[in-house]
Amino acid sequence: MGFFKTFAAGLAVAATFAASMAIGSAQAETVRFWYHFDNPANPMSELVAKFEKANPGIKIDAENVPWNSYYDNLYTALIGGNAPDAAMVKLFAQPRLVEMGALEPLGARIDAWPGKADLLDNLLELNKGPDGKQYYLPIQYVVLYLYYRTDLLAAAGLKPPTTCEEFRDAAIKLTKAPETYGFGLRGGKGGWDQWGAFVFSQGGALKPGGLTNPQAVAANQWVIDLFRKDKVIPPSAPNDGFQEIIGAFKAGKTAMTIHHIGSSKDLVAALGDKVSAVPVPKCGDGHWTSYGDESLAVFSTSPSKDAAWKWISFLAEGQNNVAFNSATGQMTVTKSGAKDWKLHERRFVDATVDSLPFAHVLPQNAATSEFVNTAWQTAMQRALTGQITSQQMMEELNALVAQ
Amino acid sequence: MSIVTTTRAAERSGSFWRRAHLTPYWLLAPAVVVTAVIVFLPMLQAVATSFYDLILFRPNASRFVGFGNYIRLFQDPVFWTALWNTVIWIGLTVPLQMGLGLITAILLNREFPWRGLARALIIIPWALPSVVIALMWRWIYDPNTGVLNDLLIYLSVVQGAVPWLADPHLALYAVIATLTWQGFPFFAVMILAGLQGIPKSQYEAASLDGASPWRQFLHITLPGIMPVLATAGLLRVIWVANSMDVIFVMTGGGPGYSTHTLPLYAFIKARQNLDFGYGTAIAVTFTILLGSFVAVYLARTMREVEK
Repeated sequence: MGFFKTFAAGLAVAATFAASMAIGSAQAETVRFWYHFDNPANPMSELVAKFEKANPGIKIDAENVPWNSYYDNLYTALIGGNAPDAAMVKLFAQPRLVEMGALEPLGARIDAWPGKADLLDNLLELNKGPDGKQYYLPIQYVVLYLYYRTDLLAAAGLKPPTTCEEFRDAAIKLTKAPETYGFGLRGGKGGWDQWGAFVFSQGGALKPGGLTNPQAVAANQWVIDLFRKDKVIPPSAPNDGFQEIIGAFKAGKTAMTIHHIGSSKDLVAALGDKVSAVPVPKCGDGHWTSYGDESLAVFSTSPSKDAAWKWISFLAEGQNNVAFNSATGQMTVTKSGAKDWKLHERRFVDATVDSLPFAHVLPQNAATSEFVNTAWQTAMQRALTGQITSQQMMEELNALVAQ
Repeated sequence: MSIVTTTRAAERSGSFWRRAHLTPYWLLAPAVVVTAVIVFLPMLQAVATSFYDLILFRPNASRFVGFGNYIRLFQDPVFWTALWNTVIWIGLTVPLQMGLGLITAILLNREFPWRGLARALIIIPWALPSVVIALMWRWIYDPNTGVLNDLLIYLSVVQGAVPWLADPHLALYAVIATLTWQGFPFFAVMILAGLQGIPKSQYEAASLDGASPWRQFLHITLPGIMPVLATAGLLRVIWVANSMDVIFVMTGGGPGYSTHTLPLYAFIKARQNLDFGYGTAIAVTFTILLGSFVAVYLARTMREVEK
């Protein structure tokens, strides 16, 4: 009899516990959020605390996923049915995500959101999906521009280059190999956006036939020649990624390189006034630079879409967005935040804003992801090391785009 | 009544016999079940996947293509480049690790002060995570800021910085050097254990008979550590063949395809381009190749060792 009493009591306790758990989980909805910050001093927990205080019913489970495998992990999680509720996403991934049916349309929510009027002009237009619907909410942006060493250019009696001809001329004059090279080219992963400034400006385009026309092939040859003939690029370029080009620029190995405002803090800490920036040179008749976007999206499989929307729209609002960008070192997407911008030196903000008129994103088709992730670097590395010609490289990339 | 009793006794003894007979299987079952579920099942799944045209972000367009992926594979020049790189990768790394390990083990087997400390320190490269090693060596090799070029220029061995990882003719060998450095302590420790199992009396007898140190090494040391070399060599061949983390972090398979090995190519295809059909076809092909090599190796080497 005693046994049954104990058993019944245990059962009652367990039932109460289970019930309270159920109530608890009904009360606190959890939003799983993926993001990628390079900055180790990451203020995300402060933003989470601020949000949770304002929205007691929602818990944010924010996970910093390493950038190098961010999309590999995201796609696999989506297909494996273990996707987060919301995540940071870039435009090049949008066609693939739309094709997978993974994104929740946000158009109606954005229209009803008071923060919409505070977003910088044109950003929502740039972010539209391939089918014209709105899936992405902008969160930060950067534009690629040309970093240069003021002291080295002054010593050589040069002004920052504004055209490709001036750029090549300056690079040749600045090169004192093996101590210094004119230009730090990123030939490894992620270097396509530097390359774009020279090739997409001169007739190249990521569409069938857009890479194999004579102008594009010649423009690509011009880049290869900078490395192989003019030797104004360090010999390590084919394997250089972000860390290497920034490291070489800081160490004075290169006098110019192309990147965005995200690295300005780091460069100023190392070089002080000896670093400045201008828009990338104009090549031929065209002017092209890469608009580096970052947005937030809610996934269609999420059971807590409303809570996820509340969280991502919170991050895109005024001061929250400023706090978010202070971690990534990028530019705010809000008018109110941009008004009193103190995160970067003026010269880098100016170079960014001056570059906006000719900043572009890659066309949104399914080949873009593969071009950005693997195809460009494999082809470029072989062209730089003389294994294939400019024509062969462009034909290979064209085959990918034409698929 | 007595018939019933007899039957029951027979049943009891039968079930007892059966139970005793089954005990080893019951004991093996957990390991077998776990291996079957986490190794064999995915292997079978991979074989099945390799017969499909399956691109992960287009799940609805997936279709059965039979040997289509394999036919594509044998016509793919990158596959042959990667296969050749894999042969160089295994063919150089394992013997180099073994040679360096052997020398280290022989040195560590001698009496010298602080020998215990030296033995502990030698294991460090093996104990470090591969990704740490890859990042470390990536910076050692860096032509702009790396220490290796600095040293070589200082010693006037080279005139200008050598782009170790950016030159398609050097990159694979540079990565092999890194992996050799990482893996030799494994051989050193295994061989050291083998060396200590050789009775001292054999050396004493040999030197009494006037055998030179070289002949002692050839006829006592080498046969003494042969079983260790054979087993450790086999393990390393399998591990080195499959290891792609160091290559992935150091070069990502580049420049171009010059450091693509087959496991890396399978990884890039499946995980980065999400082409699972083709990626698993590469993986299955490589498993068959490696499996055949291991079978031949086992048949030949183990026979030698058992002689």
